[in-house]
Amino acid sequence: MFTIGKLASLTSVSNDTLRYYEQEGLIEPAGKSPAGYRLYDTDSARRIRFIRHAQNCGFMLAEIRELLALRGRDKACCGDVRTRAVEKKLQIEGKIRAMKAMSKALDQLIGECANEGQPVNECTIIAALERAVPTPVQ
Amino acid sequence: MTVKIELFYTPGCSECVAAHAKLRAIAQESVKDLEWRELNVLDDLDYAVELGVLSLPSIAVDGELVFTSMPTATQLREVLIKRTGANA
Repeated sequence: MFTIGKLASLTSVSNDTLRYYEQEGLIEPAGKSPAGYRLYDTDSARRIRFIRHAQNCGFMLAEIRELLALRGRDKACCGDVRTRAVEKKLQIEGKIRAMKAMSKALDQLIGECANEGQPVNECTIIAALERAVPTPVQ
Repeated sequence: MTVKIELFYTPGCSECVAAHAKLRAIAQESVKDLEWRELNVLDDLDYAVELGVLSLPSIAVDGELVFTSMPTATQLREVLIKRTGANA
């Protein structure tokens, strides 16, 4: 069993983050020391590594909570987890597309700016942004 | 006029296979001229993203995302009847 400090050093996660995870119900102490300190077991360390890895793959904490629940559910199958991974990929691909559209819009603005030495009140980028009609980002 | 239904899915869910067959049967009952496609989202990722598919299964009717989760039989029937009525 580990104290929160030991768990933090084992998992390279700060004490504050661990407290936040606990507050969010992602980990829970396995017991208390005689002095009343919360103690964690190896399962907590495993869950924290799981959380960090899932965050690196773009999952939000609420989604990670669902994945952790799936992990412990008898009826859940690998397909359920795979579906969530595919849905996350769809979200990320959608964001990449939106970012590319933004980048392209910026290219156009940058391209239209012929004279960077002009005073700011004659700036073509500012003028273009002022007259532009917003279009929904795909 | 042909109604095109595209069901985006990801393989691995046995319950989904049964549900797909049921939805397909309902669509065939509701629409005379039906084009039914089942798309593995990973094989058609660009198209799925273009339509705005974010959750699975999702269903597009005539290229428009209509259901972002598995519809009930009634929901699918209602949408198709409305659409074929509009096309008539």
